[in-house]
Amino acid sequence: MRFAAIVATFAIAAAPIQAQRGAVDTGPRNPFAGNEQAVAEGRDIYNRACTACHGQDGTTGDRAPALAAPGRRYLRQTDSALFDAVQKGIPGTQMPPMGLNETEAWKVTAYVRGLRGTAIDTPAKGNVAHGQQIFWGKGECGNCHTAQGKGGLIGPDLSNIAGRRKLSSIRDSLTKPQHRVLGDGGQIESVLYPLASHKAVRVVTKDGRTIRGTVKNEDSFSLQIMGTDNALHLFLRDELREVIDEPKSLMPTDYDKRLTPEEFQDLLAFLSRQGTTAQTQQPPIARQPVE
Amino acid sequence: MQTLLLASLVLLSASTLAAQTSEDLIKADPNNWLMYSGTYDSKRHSLLKQINPSNVQNVAPKWVYHISGSIKLEAVPIVVNGVMFVAQLNHVDALDARTGRLIWQYRRQPVSRGAHRGIAVSDNKVYVGTADAHVIALDARNGAVRWETKIQGEDVRYQGGAPLVIRNKVLVGGNSRVGGFIDAYDTESGKQLWRWNSLPKPGEPGSETWAGDSLKLGGGPMWHTGSYDPQLDLAYFGTGQPGMDFVGDYRKGDNLYTDCMVALDPETGKMKWYFQFTPHDVHDYDAVEIPILVDATFKGQPRKLLLQANRNGYYYILDRTNGKFLQGTPFVKVITWASGLTEDGRPVVVPGSEPSVQGTKVCPPTAGATNWPSPAYSPDTRLFYVIVTEGCGINIRGASKFEIRPGAPVGSGTGYLESPDVQERWQLYVRALDAFTGKTAWDYKQIGSNHYGPGVVSTAGGIVFAGEQQGNLTALDAKTGKPLWHFNTGDFISASPIVYGVAGNQYVAIVAGSNVIAFGLSGGAK
Repeated sequence: MRFAAIVATFAIAAAPIQAQRGAVDTGPRNPFAGNEQAVAEGRDIYNRACTACHGQDGTTGDRAPALAAPGRRYLRQTDSALFDAVQKGIPGTQMPPMGLNETEAWKVTAYVRGLRGTAIDTPAKGNVAHGQQIFWGKGECGNCHTAQGKGGLIGPDLSNIAGRRKLSSIRDSLTKPQHRVLGDGGQIESVLYPLASHKAVRVVTKDGRTIRGTVKNEDSFSLQIMGTDNALHLFLRDELREVIDEPKSLMPTDYDKRLTPEEFQDLLAFLSRQGTTAQTQQPPIARQPVE
Repeated sequence: MQTLLLASLVLLSASTLAAQTSEDLIKADPNNWLMYSGTYDSKRHSLLKQINPSNVQNVAPKWVYHISGSIKLEAVPIVVNGVMFVAQLNHVDALDARTGRLIWQYRRQPVSRGAHRGIAVSDNKVYVGTADAHVIALDARNGAVRWETKIQGEDVRYQGGAPLVIRNKVLVGGNSRVGGFIDAYDTESGKQLWRWNSLPKPGEPGSETWAGDSLKLGGGPMWHTGSYDPQLDLAYFGTGQPGMDFVGDYRKGDNLYTDCMVALDPETGKMKWYFQFTPHDVHDYDAVEIPILVDATFKGQPRKLLLQANRNGYYYILDRTNGKFLQGTPFVKVITWASGLTEDGRPVVVPGSEPSVQGTKVCPPTAGATNWPSPAYSPDTRLFYVIVTEGCGINIRGASKFEIRPGAPVGSGTGYLESPDVQERWQLYVRALDAFTGKTAWDYKQIGSNHYGPGVVSTAGGIVFAGEQQGNLTALDAKTGKPLWHFNTGDFISASPIVYGVAGNQYVAIVAGSNVIAFGLSGGAK
């Protein structure tokens, strides 16, 4: 039951990412869209004016929503709606007009829009079919991760990884032992989620059994583990003799060495295209033929 | 004593919402939870003891009230003679505190999800700060608006702190382009009576602690409630950080009166004294954490003390008659931004600890060794209970140079992150400090909880109730910290629990996520 609920949570989180890209902007277009220099200047303005409430790189501060947290549903989806909020504030809320001129406000808008993009917006170049072979074969990724409806359960489900993470974040997770990066989580959640850390753990029960796996969730009184046997193991803490946190993640981070440069690039090309398709709106009812 | 108390409970419940006067706020009935911190001294120590370590296993939920459309509520409910008032921004509900049944609702447009920590109640009125920077008084019996006053000033914002009623005045904090303030409004008419500004005006005492014209950058937001000593007739408030939180180049000097504890005369709004915890702060260590007022013999001398566990990692004991620093001790394992405190309580800042473009490791993190969630003090154990974050952060400034323009908001200059080092990740504890030595008496680790939110309440029954970010309301033995009971509320807890009584039964209530949940002994008082 709990497991079903968790799956449902991911499905819901994935949906708005797809849906919001379809938002129609009928307002003025951002003159700086895609302009790297302007986006960089937008970041400087953002860091001067916005981080106190919205946090570093839109990950959320204490007082206002995350502007670019993975999986969140945005109130202001279009360039013109964002521009409007930046320049005029949002009446009746604690969001003030920011005192920026039009050019500056468009630059901030371009920066915030850029923050929201994930790998699927800018997929890596490479041979996707070969990357898929690496995923299931030499890379052994599928032993622990789910993708395309199959695979292991102990690691994070990668079915929508390109919809949730930036390309740089995916690359880092394959190559850096501590790969948490700016704009890649760190947000303060608003509701209770299962833990995202996939912390490796080993427990010894009072009757002497040893179970290894990753922590799905835990609190001071209980512990929920996905075992290396791909089965859930649920404990009250007083049923356990020992809980040992493994010092290292189960995830290897030397893929740039265990794969050739070409294989690595192709794996990235495959991963950066893993996105689930959200349920779209009902298709419009076909117009009756005119008689 | 207990029977007497119970008898008075029955009498109270028979009378319908007897008017609560400002005089009653001083002689608080322990069955009521009259203000954000329970009582003026902010001890958060309930005198009710029906629930104690011998029967806490029998505590069970009595009712749940769902506040639709809300999320991650931070409010502390107020209970007056059997009626509970609970608020979010632009939204107040009055409930039967025994059953959770709704009596009235107040809604103001637009209903907002911004942080709101509570309201104040006295003389049949509920005082509320709103998202569009108004202070309003509602009739406590039906929610009708009795008066409404716009907070004056340039770009003023009400920032969610609960108002505090002292005699005929309701004190409300806020922030504006030119700095934070406390306002006093007449409880009958809503007329503004005075304003105390947390930043001096150019030329006033304190302005010399701001280089050049940096006072214009603003700061010192007043976003949390205070405490009050009726004998000294002084109100105590902590102030927020200076403008451009993480960049100090443009505001060389101590930047008074940011990150201070201030004592205000509630009659005039004049400042009697101040003590600055973090001069020239560049880590956003707001000093708004609730001050607890305790009278005790300290180092052989009877003293009127003010206790505060500060966001900067030190636990302070001040003389609240004059603001004199008496003692300061670290209450977290690692402090990197200062190497200690001088004799007069000034931190010795470690060079190179300021935020940088590439990021500087700082312990405690900007999230704070503790933050706005409430601590408690028990006169029975003489322990100070506080929720503590162990760990470090990375503080970053967005650019090596910032263009400062008059009239434009300066913002924070950038932000902070949790340290990526596994050993420095944030972990919450309920920590009991010997209130007078600052030494840790016990620790309770809140496994899975890593960011501030919940607070604690202590009871004469010998229990500390603590919310856990991960959703548990947990009862701890006040002497040992041993967990005795817990309940999974199913949602984030970002609020501090309260204790109250109705008709002879003791209740513990917590706001969890978007629900208010009240607990009591199963089967009631036996």
